[in-house]
Amino acid sequence: MNGRSSRSGWAFVAFPLAVVFLFTALPTVAGVGLSLFMWNGSDAPSFIGLGNFQAAMTKDPQFWYALRNTLIFAAVTVPITTVLAFLFAVILNARWFVGRTVVRTMFFLPAVVSIIAVGYVWRWVLDPKAGLLNATLEWAHLDALFGGDLPAWLGDNPWGLGAMIAVQIWRNLGFCVVLYLAALSQVPRSLHEAASVDGAGPWQSIWCVTWPAVRPMTAFLIITGSIWALQVFDLVWGIWGEAEMRWTDVLNAHLYREFTHLRISYSATIGVYMLLLTAIVTFAQLRWMRRSEEAYR
Amino acid sequence: MSAAARPNWIVRWLVHLVTYAVALTMIAPFGWMISTSLKTNRRAIDPNPSLLPDGPLTQWQWHHYLEAWRRAQLGDFYLNSIIVAVVVTALSVLFCAIAGFAFAKLRFAGRRITFAILLATLLLPYQVYFIFAYFICSWLGYIDQLHALIVPFLASAFGIFYMRQSIVTVPDSLLDAGRIDGFTDFELFVNIIVPAVRPALAALAIFTFMASWNNFFWPLIVIDSSEHITLPLAVERLSAGQFVDSWPQRMAAATIITVPTIFVFVLFQRSFVEGLALTGVKG
Repeated sequence: MNGRSSRSGWAFVAFPLAVVFLFTALPTVAGVGLSLFMWNGSDAPSFIGLGNFQAAMTKDPQFWYALRNTLIFAAVTVPITTVLAFLFAVILNARWFVGRTVVRTMFFLPAVVSIIAVGYVWRWVLDPKAGLLNATLEWAHLDALFGGDLPAWLGDNPWGLGAMIAVQIWRNLGFCVVLYLAALSQVPRSLHEAASVDGAGPWQSIWCVTWPAVRPMTAFLIITGSIWALQVFDLVWGIWGEAEMRWTDVLNAHLYREFTHLRISYSATIGVYMLLLTAIVTFAQLRWMRRSEEAYR
Repeated sequence: MSAAARPNWIVRWLVHLVTYAVALTMIAPFGWMISTSLKTNRRAIDPNPSLLPDGPLTQWQWHHYLEAWRRAQLGDFYLNSIIVAVVVTALSVLFCAIAGFAFAKLRFAGRRITFAILLATLLLPYQVYFIFAYFICSWLGYIDQLHALIVPFLASAFGIFYMRQSIVTVPDSLLDAGRIDGFTDFELFVNIIVPAVRPALAALAIFTFMASWNNFFWPLIVIDSSEHITLPLAVERLSAGQFVDSWPQRMAAATIITVPTIFVFVLFQRSFVEGLALTGVKG
C-alpha cells in the first residue's frame, strides 16, 4: 500500500458493494433473524430465542453426523485439491508439454458439465454391484485390500464419504488449475531466468520461485475452497441422494432437507451454525494470509 | 516455466503420461453424455451400459439433437441465455476488477472493515438467503424479468476478492511511475492494472459466464412465465410429464447447451498464454 488516502477508493467500490449488500448481505441478515423464530412458511412466525440453536445441539443427532462429515470433507479435499492444482498448472504452463491447450480444456470440463450428467455418471461408476470402479478393482484382484469385500461406495459407510471426497477433488481440480494458470502467467519470467543462472533445477525452481510467487492465489484458493467445501451441496444431493445417512450427510444437505420439510426457521439455524463455523475457519486463514502477504512484499 | 528449467526426457515422458491419464478421467462424463445422447431410448437406460452407441456411425441416433432442439424450443431461449450471460459477464468483470483494485492498491477510510464484511457475505450458503433475495427482487419489480437474472449478479464478493488477490501482486513501482506521469486513479486502472492482470480478468470472465449460463436454481425461483426462461430450465422441461423416455434427448440438449461454455473457455484461456509475453517485460 503506498501513497496518500484516495478519494476514488469509495467511488470504485460503491456500486459493487451496493449490489452485494442488497442481494446477499441484507437477505443474509434477515435469514439470521429468522433462526430466532419458529416458522413453517405459512403460519405467523413465533419468537423462540435460541430454542432452535439448542435443539440442534441436543435433539438432532443428524446435525452432529453432518458436522463431522463436513469437517472431514473440507479438511481432506482442500489441501489435496490445492497442491494438485498447483502441480498440474505448472505442468500445463510448461512450454515442453505437448497439447497443453487441449489438456487444459479437458481438465476444465468437469466444472462445465451440468450436475445432472455428473450425478448420473458417478452413480454408475460407484455402483457397488454393476459399477465400473468395483468391476475394475475385482479385475485387478485388488479386493484383498478391502478384506475381500468390495466397498459399497454409495452406501452409508466411511467409504461413501471417501468417494464423496474423490468426486469433489475431480470436480474442482480444473477450476483451481485455471486460476493457478492465470496467476502463473503473471509471474515475471526474469525470476526463473535468475534462478536457473544460479543453478536451480526445475524442481527447485518450482518450489523456491513459482510457489512463493503465486502465494496470494494459494491463499485465495484455500479460503474460497474451504468455504465451498463447508457449503458443499449439489454433488452430495445429486449422487448420494436425499436420505438421512450417517456417513454421507453434510450440513448444507441437512439444512436443505429441513427446508423442504418446511422447518424453515430450523434450517436457517443450521445456516447460522455454518456461518459461525466458516467464519472461524476463514478468520484463521485470513490472519495467515496477511502474514504471508507481508512476507511477499 | 522457462525453457531453461526443462527437466530431462524421462521426467517429461512420465509427466505427459500421468497428466493425460488424469485428463481422460476428466472428460469421461462428458463423453458419456454425448454417447448416451446417441443411443436408443431403451439402450440409454440399460443397467449394463455400453461405451458407444450400437452399430456404425450412420445408425447412431443423431435425430435426438434435432428433437431436443425442437421439443425444448432451444432456439427461442438461446437469446435469453446469451443476453443474461454476456451482460453479466462484461459488467461484473469490470465492477469486480475496479473494486478489487481499490481494495488492493488504494487507501480509503473503512477499507479494511468493508473488505471484511464483503468476505463475510461469502460465508452463508444461498439456501439461507435466497428467500429474502426473492422478496427484494419482487419489491424492485424484477420478478419474471431478465433483470432478476442480471442485476443481482453485477458484482460478487467472490469476484472482488479474486481480483484483489490478483492485483495485489502488481508491483507498486509501476503505479508510482504512473502517478508521476500524472495519471488519475482511473487512468492507473485502465493503463496499468488492466494490462497487467489480463489473465486474471480472462479467468474471471470464464467463471462468471459459466455460473450465469448454468444457473438453474435462481431462474427457477424468479422466472414464472415461459417467455423469459433460460436454457437450463428449458432442458429440464424435457424430463417433465409426457416425455418419459427422453433421457437421450435430455443428454443431447445438455450437450447443446454445454458447447458455448467450452467455446468461451477456449477463447479466453488464450490470454493466459499471451499474458506471459506481456508481463515478462515488467520484472
